[in-house]
Amino acid sequence: MIQSTNEEASAWRRKVSDFVGYGTVAVTIGILFFFLVLPVSVIMARAFFNNGEFTFRYFPLLFSNELLMGSIWNSVLIGIVATIFTTILSFPLALINARFDFKGKALLSGLLLVPMVMPPFVGAIGIMRFFARRGSVNLTLMDMGWIDTPIDWLGPDNMFWAVVILEVLHLYPIMYLNLTAALANVDPSVEEMATTLGVPKWKQYRDIVWPLARPGYFAGAIIVFIWALTDLGTPLLVGYHETIPVQIFNMITDVNENPVGYALVFLVIVMTVSFFVISKKALGGKKYEMMAKGHVSNEKKHPSWWGYPLIYGLVGGTAFIALLPHLAVLITAISDKWFMTPLPEQYTMEHFKQVFGTDLAFNGIKNSFFLAGLSTLVDLVLGLLIAYVIVRKLVPFTGALDGLVMIPLALPGIVLAFGYVVTYSDTILDPLHNPVPLLVIAYAIRRLPYMVRSATAGLQQMSSSLEEASTTFGASRFHTLRKITVPLVMANLIAGALLCFSYAMLDVSDSLILAMKERFYPLTKAIYVLFLEQGTGELVASALGIIGMAILIVCIMGSSLVLGKKMGELFRS
Amino acid sequence: MEVVFKGIYKRYGQVTAVHNLNLKIEKGALHFLLGPSGCGKTTTLRMLAGLEAVSEGQLFFNGKDVTKQPAVERGIGMVFQNYALWPHMTVYKNIEYGLKLRKLSKEEIKRRIDEVVAITHLGNFVDRLPGQLSGGQQQRVALARALAIRPNVLLLDEPLSNLDAKLRMEMRDNILRIHKQTGITTLYVTHDQREALSMGTNVSVMHAGHLIQTDNPRTLYTTPKTAFIAGFIGETNPVDAVVESVNGSETTVRTSFGLLRSTYQSATFNAGDKVSLSLRPEAIHIDWTKSGTGENYFMTNVEHLTYLGESEQFLLRAAGGHCLKVNFYHAPDHSFHEGSEVGCTIDASDVLVLPPQDMGPST
Repeated sequence: MIQSTNEEASAWRRKVSDFVGYGTVAVTIGILFFFLVLPVSVIMARAFFNNGEFTFRYFPLLFSNELLMGSIWNSVLIGIVATIFTTILSFPLALINARFDFKGKALLSGLLLVPMVMPPFVGAIGIMRFFARRGSVNLTLMDMGWIDTPIDWLGPDNMFWAVVILEVLHLYPIMYLNLTAALANVDPSVEEMATTLGVPKWKQYRDIVWPLARPGYFAGAIIVFIWALTDLGTPLLVGYHETIPVQIFNMITDVNENPVGYALVFLVIVMTVSFFVISKKALGGKKYEMMAKGHVSNEKKHPSWWGYPLIYGLVGGTAFIALLPHLAVLITAISDKWFMTPLPEQYTMEHFKQVFGTDLAFNGIKNSFFLAGLSTLVDLVLGLLIAYVIVRKLVPFTGALDGLVMIPLALPGIVLAFGYVVTYSDTILDPLHNPVPLLVIAYAIRRLPYMVRSATAGLQQMSSSLEEASTTFGASRFHTLRKITVPLVMANLIAGALLCFSYAMLDVSDSLILAMKERFYPLTKAIYVLFLEQGTGELVASALGIIGMAILIVCIMGSSLVLGKKMGELFRS
Repeated sequence: MEVVFKGIYKRYGQVTAVHNLNLKIEKGALHFLLGPSGCGKTTTLRMLAGLEAVSEGQLFFNGKDVTKQPAVERGIGMVFQNYALWPHMTVYKNIEYGLKLRKLSKEEIKRRIDEVVAITHLGNFVDRLPGQLSGGQQQRVALARALAIRPNVLLLDEPLSNLDAKLRMEMRDNILRIHKQTGITTLYVTHDQREALSMGTNVSVMHAGHLIQTDNPRTLYTTPKTAFIAGFIGETNPVDAVVESVNGSETTVRTSFGLLRSTYQSATFNAGDKVSLSLRPEAIHIDWTKSGTGENYFMTNVEHLTYLGESEQFLLRAAGGHCLKVNFYHAPDHSFHEGSEVGCTIDASDVLVLPPQDMGPST
């Protein structure tokens, strides 16, 4: 028999549990409102209102500004060309991964992913070093007698291609992961059926595989496009200033005198949102459910004798080329005497020592660990709760909540950072005083989608009867979450957290814009500032970059191990 | 604990999953809820557990209204169809979980775990994780976990459906034994009529959200209330017919192969009513000599013959194209063949007159 005191106690416990549940939902929505919806709204409002009066004059100013119009054109072109190139590069790689089995596949597949977390702007340092007028490439070519005068690889005409190549080498893993996941999702039996009907192989790809894999492709393509279009670090370091991100970056300091910045950022928002919608609705098409439940042969083919060199060449070659800029950074970081020779004459660890000797560099590492760690913690708590609310349908508007949380995937970091500066200047959160709160929030919000996706995947795989069983024993929702749910989705949480942490560590746009005091510079801003310094600054910057990359490699390898093939799903919109 | 459902409804938007359910489960009974998948039996069970809210009606435990009480306070032990064992906890921890929530003393927890482990013969497995157990062992852990809290009511949701045939037989005996030992009021949900018939004394049959009949298995089989139950419990030949005349407890019906007299009607019918007959395969007798005459006698042709080992099943075609299954044990000889004509006879008490199928369930 149940005693009434017991009943009262449990009723009280349930109230607490309900309060915690609804409280977290309220806090989540509050955070998303103040740090996602509000900043974007402020930008929009300022683009159209001047001292409370509606105005349309910023846009003619924007469209008549040749520099800005040129920048928009350049950036869109970077986005388009980078997307096309990543597609060409990723399709064969994904097909190989989905269809073939070969020795060393796990290692090579892992290696292919490494460039994803390699900050392209650090790679830019290496590229600049190698392709400079008196850099390794020119010197080698001259030594071999192929050219007489150095080629201006990074001249104004070639900067565009330098940025595109760096973006492609950085972003192709996202496309590759998406395509692999999409192709793996195509049940082999639908192809086998077509084969029995006598449909030729190429027609099968055109009529069956492609329509089924298309939503996955466009989900990846739009991310590549938007990221390439809005990446700040790479064009900044290459010196290609006629691009949207660099222009916005330059406008932030005097945005109060020059409101055209609002119009430009507004235009970027409109552009990314409309590209996003187009890719989802029009190009991506319907997402089809795979209905086959019967025997699915997971057997993968072994390549034929001539296939092996092709596959190794393609996979290994891609990974090698993608890592080349970072190899160049490594050589730069350990170079001692390097003057007019293709490779340094002597090597040293001196620059690594300098990293730990200078406040700027060492603080950068410390700050980034602190900021990325804290933001990951925020993501972990928020992401789990949001995923829980969405999967268990605890509130009626889960669809809207899911959409809201996924916005940061499409919203460029530079837009968000810009929004924070204009919204929170002269408030208690002013980054001029202490940028830590805004940096943590910016890092957290932008990586929240990965955490939510990761936790959602875990929760969906977990039978809800495991939680119900706990409920029948009298456990509150909160108790069940703690004792049953969290331990069971731990792998997904760890993987998501590692990914959030990695991306926060190499965040460029938020760091460059929001960290306004040297004391608070994160790793990336420290690298940028060192890079601009005279003397050995570039070398210390490289060493710092190598340390950052080492941290990231450990993280990404870890999450890849925990999550396996499911990683592709994190980069979907 | 006596459990009473009073006028219970469950609606999901426009869909009514459970329709005006009235049922009393006696204290200490092992009660079966039987029905095809989608009939609302699991929904009923989940409402009892407090996992689903009741849309309308009341639920009583020992006369106390618990309709609004949350799962937490009902003192329910539940065995889920997929067992829902927590894969990250050992068998011991799985059982301990519910006890810890009850803030029992360490000694009491230990004592209770030992008790249910002994009852379910799990002694050697307490330190294993669920993934290291066989299906039958997992099933026993789920049972032990539910029993440990000494529930007011034990709910079993298709507990044997994930086991192979041999293990299923073994577990039936196990569950009966444990029920006898503990005397806990138990509601057992299943879609397997043989499970319910062989184990139960109280069986409630549900169909399309309605509870149609609650009886012991023999009564369900011999005097079903509807054509659905006649077809669901055991095998039968459903035959459409029209009432010709009613004379006290006797009814004469017209079928495509002649008039039949019946002494069992599940409801009151009038001349001209459309009805559905249930003729059990073993109730029809074959007359090889074809010499019979009189009431409840009709001629058929052997359409097909299936050898089943201990018996043979004939498929006979009667006049009007009706096909009847007839079970025959020890056929005298095999001088007949497919196509040959035989006579059939059936007792008036074996002609069950039921409401027509398409009228839907009635209560």
